[in-house]
Amino acid sequence: MIKNRLRRSITLLSVSALALGMASTGLLASTASAASTPGVTANSITIGASVPLSGIAASYAPVSAAANAVFKYVNTKGGINGRKIKYIRLDDCYDLASYGLGCTAGASVTTLSQNQVLVAQDHVFATVGSLGTAAEESVQAYLKQNGVPQLFVNSGSSAWDAPAAYPNLFGFQTSYQAEGKIFAKYIKAHYAGKTVGFIGQNDDFGANGYLGLADGGVNVATANHLSYNAADAVTGSTSDIQTDVGTLQANGVKVVVLDSVPGFTSGILSVAKALSYKPIWIISNVGADPTSVNNVGEAGALTLDYFPAVTDNADPWIPWVRKVLLADKTDFPSFTSSSIITGNELYGVGYAVAFVETLKAEGKNVTRAGFVKALTSMTLNTPAITPLKYSASNHQGLTGGAMAKISPNGAKPPVEGAYVSPFVYSTGNSKGSPIVTTTKLDVTPIPSWLK
Amino acid sequence: MNWWTSLRRQETTHSRLLGVLFLTLLTLAITFILPPVADSELAGGAAIAIVILGLSWLTGWSGQISLGNSGFMAVGAYAAGIWAHHHATTPLFFTFVLAIVIGGISGLIIAIPSTRLHGPYLAGMTLAFSAAVTPLAQNFTSVTGGEGGIFMNSLVTPKWFTHFFSGQNAAINANAQWTADLAVVTAGVAFFFMANLFHSRSGRAMRLVRDNDVAAELMGVNLSRTRTMAFVVSAAFAGLGGALYSLLEASVRPETFPITLSITLLTLMVLGGIGTLSGAVIGGIIYSFSANLVSHVNALTGVNPTSNLGANMQGIIFGVLLILTMLFAPRGLVSLATPMKRLFRARPQKPASEQVH
Amino acid sequence: MSAFLSSAIMHNIFGGLAQGVIYSLVALSLVIIWQSTHVLNFAQGAMAMFATYVGMTEIGRGVGYWWCVLISVLVGMALGGATERVLIRPLYGKPEINPIVVMVGFLGVLEALAAAIWTSTTRNITEPFSQIYFQSNGHLVFLSSFVIFQIVLAISIMLFVAALFRFTKLGLQLRASALAPEVSRLLGVRVSRMLTIGWILSAGVGSIAAVIIASGSFGLFPTNMDGIFVASFIAAAVGGLESPIGAVAGGLIIGLVEQFILAYWSPNVAPLSGIIILVIVLMIRPQGLFTKHASRRV
Repeated sequence: MIKNRLRRSITLLSVSALALGMASTGLLASTASAASTPGVTANSITIGASVPLSGIAASYAPVSAAANAVFKYVNTKGGINGRKIKYIRLDDCYDLASYGLGCTAGASVTTLSQNQVLVAQDHVFATVGSLGTAAEESVQAYLKQNGVPQLFVNSGSSAWDAPAAYPNLFGFQTSYQAEGKIFAKYIKAHYAGKTVGFIGQNDDFGANGYLGLADGGVNVATANHLSYNAADAVTGSTSDIQTDVGTLQANGVKVVVLDSVPGFTSGILSVAKALSYKPIWIISNVGADPTSVNNVGEAGALTLDYFPAVTDNADPWIPWVRKVLLADKTDFPSFTSSSIITGNELYGVGYAVAFVETLKAEGKNVTRAGFVKALTSMTLNTPAITPLKYSASNHQGLTGGAMAKISPNGAKPPVEGAYVSPFVYSTGNSKGSPIVTTTKLDVTPIPSWLK
Repeated sequence: MNWWTSLRRQETTHSRLLGVLFLTLLTLAITFILPPVADSELAGGAAIAIVILGLSWLTGWSGQISLGNSGFMAVGAYAAGIWAHHHATTPLFFTFVLAIVIGGISGLIIAIPSTRLHGPYLAGMTLAFSAAVTPLAQNFTSVTGGEGGIFMNSLVTPKWFTHFFSGQNAAINANAQWTADLAVVTAGVAFFFMANLFHSRSGRAMRLVRDNDVAAELMGVNLSRTRTMAFVVSAAFAGLGGALYSLLEASVRPETFPITLSITLLTLMVLGGIGTLSGAVIGGIIYSFSANLVSHVNALTGVNPTSNLGANMQGIIFGVLLILTMLFAPRGLVSLATPMKRLFRARPQKPASEQVH
Repeated sequence: MSAFLSSAIMHNIFGGLAQGVIYSLVALSLVIIWQSTHVLNFAQGAMAMFATYVGMTEIGRGVGYWWCVLISVLVGMALGGATERVLIRPLYGKPEINPIVVMVGFLGVLEALAAAIWTSTTRNITEPFSQIYFQSNGHLVFLSSFVIFQIVLAISIMLFVAALFRFTKLGLQLRASALAPEVSRLLGVRVSRMLTIGWILSAGVGSIAAVIIASGSFGLFPTNMDGIFVASFIAAAVGGLESPIGAVAGGLIIGLVEQFILAYWSPNVAPLSGIIILVIVLMIRPQGLFTKHASRRV
């Protein structure tokens, strides 16, 4: 009886093992091709990004659309070294699909699942311009493990500047901490003696911004250092705002630094208006969307900008950007020669230009290691007004910007980046690095092959 | 009785081991055939199947309804995540055991006040627990990393496994495969334990409590100890499932375990069949391929997947399925009919002669 | 006086009361259904949310706010009655878990359907009353016209329901059907109709709560009633599912305790306040604070 059972067991097990073995050998028979770089063929290169095309952060969708417009423009000129660029943008709803909030990507979509599609299914060469601090942190280990470079992450977190741990990870914009330092310098120069307050998001964004202020020598009293729940910004709950603004008003705060996302920023500004509270507002670049600021009549608020003013026709990039966007009828169907170019669009153009320039510099033989090497050794010509120069010790990207005043909504439409002083600040990324000021905007020429 | 019947009935440890082994090997073979993206979906389904096992234990075999399993998943996931974040070299096995233990302890904590509760009170209590988890995780930033959460290093694929793969995308395929296989093996082990529990003395005591708790107590079964045990076991399984789920995502964040997940778990369990091992497998499979299922429904009905309707199809389909199943084919719950009826005398009963207005 | 009104204590009392009356309303609606049909309606919040959406979309077409409120409440009541007829009635006599599970499924459907029809973006309805806090001598008093409206409306509805149950024939019939259905039937009360009316009434009360929430700063989005449902359920359990007064008291207690924990202990612990109260109350008095008879014991 037992012997019988034993025999049956062995048979069952060996059948299973055989099945397993056959299945796996099926894999060994797959065609072995020479080791080549994923995403790269003789006449194309495929890159991807996980970006919020719907949902809470859908207002950032034009960033990657503008980048795509640059790639399309380059493709009409024959591509880079004979390769056309294919840019796959997948919607990750800012990694908050489960919250709903207008997301149409599907409830179970995450940034990781979309990156898995990009890497394991679309075999991209690299991710370029993916957006969101938490979103991109959630995939950096996965991308590193699979050897996929993570380029030009759209976020001001300092987490992208970790060359030792993540040699293929690169940021793009000035970090929140550096921004805070620049704000501090400006405050000390122009508003010395006035009480300063701070409202920030209770995550890296607000924390780093506050750190930057402290680095730069501006001390915000604990009673005036307020934070709101990042989750509230997502769900749109605004119960904190009245308390926060009321507190600052009661404490006689004259200069308020805001590290908050656009929706929350406009909420704070409108509550302050209703309470007749008129401090000087200094708003992080992230939250300084001119439309929402001007809608509450707070034109004159200050922010940090790293792109030229869109009315600055002396800057060679502005007409070029206009040309590129006009040519893209698919993603920018209603863009005309008198349309306003937004900061989002300049941002997208910025990193796209950085990408194509590096690709061109690499030459005909494109590999991931070669790309990273080129990126960290060359000087890049981009629309940004401070230098964009990566190195073995700087993976952050831009390190500065100019203080700008958000223009009033009068006869002229809102203009982002009208400078209050011709000072451009640039600062290293590490805590102790000094701020370098210059009156010269870094206007770089457009490479001739790009024009 | 011949060996096939004994295998199906799973009445000895031997047959249970064989049954689980066979299924696990079969699923492993399937992972080799599937493309990498489908592999990771399957892995997610394996993690969910483990949680459904625990939920089935609690609801099907001891008759208590719990909406708290997403909360226990979160506990296990955060336990694993926090540990793995600080001690990256700990073997996976130990991390899982940690998640199981911490999950079980949290089940014990929740069980203590809950054993006195019946029906809706218990359901509400467990709902309150899982509703509290997301805001708690968001608030205790120093421990849980707040909104950003905790990131874990991806599982490292051993070299010997990578040798099975060749070609341009060898590394990617190997990584996806290894992760999926790990998930399947973990699920297999969990199933084995559950099958043994079912047939053990505790399992029998639990079923007795479910069917007739008055008689059970008269026979010396300690009611509250049995109910507490049910919670602990359920929470331990959920903790393991949650930890595995997070390892697959390489991160654990507050929004990974919303209340809707508890509802989804309930739905999957009901659809699969409450109180059955195969039910958990079916539930896991439905979860794995729900995205594909939904896109098929969208294609059939001509709905645009990126429209609002398309994006919410999953919620609608699952909810409707749950309602229809409960109305017309509650199966597992039917066996609970007898004792439950006696507990609440004020239920409006329609006499046979009464007509519905 | 203004210093007192704008003090921290008053801030928290006003805040706790404002939130608490909402919990009381929803808890009351849960108790009405429980008393009549012994079902815990997990979809209560979602049904009210859905009704609010139906009513409030009319605002976009220029219909006045108050008409929209009326439409929302009427739609909610119709939905409640239909739910009892279609989903709950077939389950009488079945295990008590079944209707709970069905209602959970219904909750999922309603939220997904609302997102499908109206998108899940938060909608802020033009507020009927200002939400800006009053200022007195430069200090903020944490009351606004809207908060006062909220409290007054909620209390009025509760008084109305209480009066309905106590002083009208319908109320008597409702109570009789819940307590002793067989006897009531013998006396000529149409019990099944009473059950439906119980659901209709409950849904109406719940809809008003949802309308208030949607009109406030929280806004209207498919899952906006989830947290409120949990707190209201706890309020009802704390007060005792059999007692309407208990539900109201429970709601106010939960609202105040939540607010004070938030302000004086730690915002981190606030999500746990409901559970803490529930555990404490149920360990001491498992039948709730206000019910008269003890729970079944072996």
